[in-house]
Amino acid sequence: MNFTNDTKELISILEKSLDIKDFTTPKKNEISIVVDQNNVPTILTYLKDKGWKQLSMITCVDWIEENKFELVYVLFNWTNGITFLVKTKIERENPEYISIIDIFPGARYYERDIHEFFGVKFEGNSDSEKPLFLELWDDKPPMRKDFDPLEYSKRKFPDRKYDVELSKNVVKEVIKEGGINERT
Amino acid sequence: MNIFEEDLNDTITFWEKIKNIFRGKSLWMLHYCTGCGAVELPPTMTARFDMERLGMGPMATPRQADVLLITGYLSVKTLRRVIYTYEQMMTPKYLVGFGSCTLNGGIYYDSYAVINRLDYYLPVDLYLAGCMPRPEAIMNTFKTLENMITKGEANGWKKYVENYDWYRNNQIRSLGEVYVKDEFHE
Ligand code: SF4
Repeated sequence: MNFTNDTKELISILEKSLDIKDFTTPKKNEISIVVDQNNVPTILTYLKDKGWKQLSMITCVDWIEENKFELVYVLFNWTNGITFLVKTKIERENPEYISIIDIFPGARYYERDIHEFFGVKFEGNSDSEKPLFLELWDDKPPMRKDFDPLEYSKRKFPDRKYDVELSKNVVKEVIKEGGINERT
Repeated sequence: MNIFEEDLNDTITFWEKIKNIFRGKSLWMLHYCTGCGAVELPPTMTARFDMERLGMGPMATPRQADVLLITGYLSVKTLRRVIYTYEQMMTPKYLVGFGSCTLNGGIYYDSYAVINRLDYYLPVDLYLAGCMPRPEAIMNTFKTLENMITKGEANGWKKYVENYDWYRNNQIRSLGEVYVKDEFHE
C-alpha cells in the first residue's frame, strides 16, 4: 500500500470510530470497506466531506446462498485518484433500503436501476419504482440469480426452427463436392 | 428487364414494372442503426466502397426512406421503436436484416431483453449473414436487393399488410403492448 499520510489517517479514523467489519485493497488505489447497514449514510457523508465527491456508481450483488443482497457504493476522489468501495449487505426477502439521494443526488437513477434489476426498494427516492430500461416488465427482476433468462427467452421470443438432419446432409453434399475440406 | 409483350397491353403491370426499375435505382436508407453491425456502414458509405455508386444514400426521416436496415440485435425496447418507424415509412419499403442476431438471436439467443428472429415481427426482404458482415458483403446485399426490387421480388411490405394479424399477434406476444411509453416526453 502506498497511500499518502492523509489517507492512512483517514483509514485509521474510520477503523476506530465506526464499525468497519472488513478492510481490503482489491487493487492499487482502491479501498474497500464492509460496513453495517445503518452506518452507510454516515460514512458516505464523511467521505464526501473528505474529498470523495463523485459517486461513480451503485451496484448490487446477489449472494443467493447467503440469502443476501450486497450494495456497493463506488466513490471517487479527484484529488488523489483513490476509489472507495463501501459495501453493505441487506436481506434478500422483500429487500428495502434507505435512499442516499440527499447525500449524492445522482444516486436517483442508480437506485431506479437497482430496483428494476434486483427489486430493491429505496425508501426516500420517489422515483425508485418507476421503470427505467425494461418497459412493461412482467417477471421477477432479471438480474436475480434465480431468474432463468433462457426459459424467459424461449417463452417470450420464439426461436427459428432448424432441421438438423437436413443441414447435416447439406454439409455432406458440400463435402462430397469438395467445397470444404473435411475435418477429422 | 422482364417486360413481356402482353404486359404492354396491361397498363397496371407495365407501369408497375417500369416503376420497379426506377425504385431499384434510387434507394434511400433510413439513418437508424440498432446494433453493432452498424459500424460497418460508415466504410460502406465513404470513399472506399462508396455506396452512392448504387444510387443509395442515407436519409434522416422514415417518411422519406425506402430501406430500413436492422443492423444487428434488437432489444425489446428498440423493437417497439422499430415497429413504429417501419409503419411510418411510405410503401414500397424494404427491410434488410444484418448479421446472425437478426436471423436467430446470435450470441444473444438466451437474453431476456433481445428478440431471437426478426421475421417473426416484421417482414424481412433479405438477410445478410455474418457477425459482423464486411462492407463487401453489405455492398453485395445492396446489389442483390436492387435486383430483387427491379424484378419485383421484394414484397415484404405487401406481406406485412396481408398478414398484419399474424405479425401483430407476435408483436403483442413478445412485447405485451406495442405502444411506446417514454417518461421524458410525457
Ligand atoms: S450479429 Fe454480431 S455484429 Fe451483428 S449485432 Fe449480433 S453480435 Fe453484433
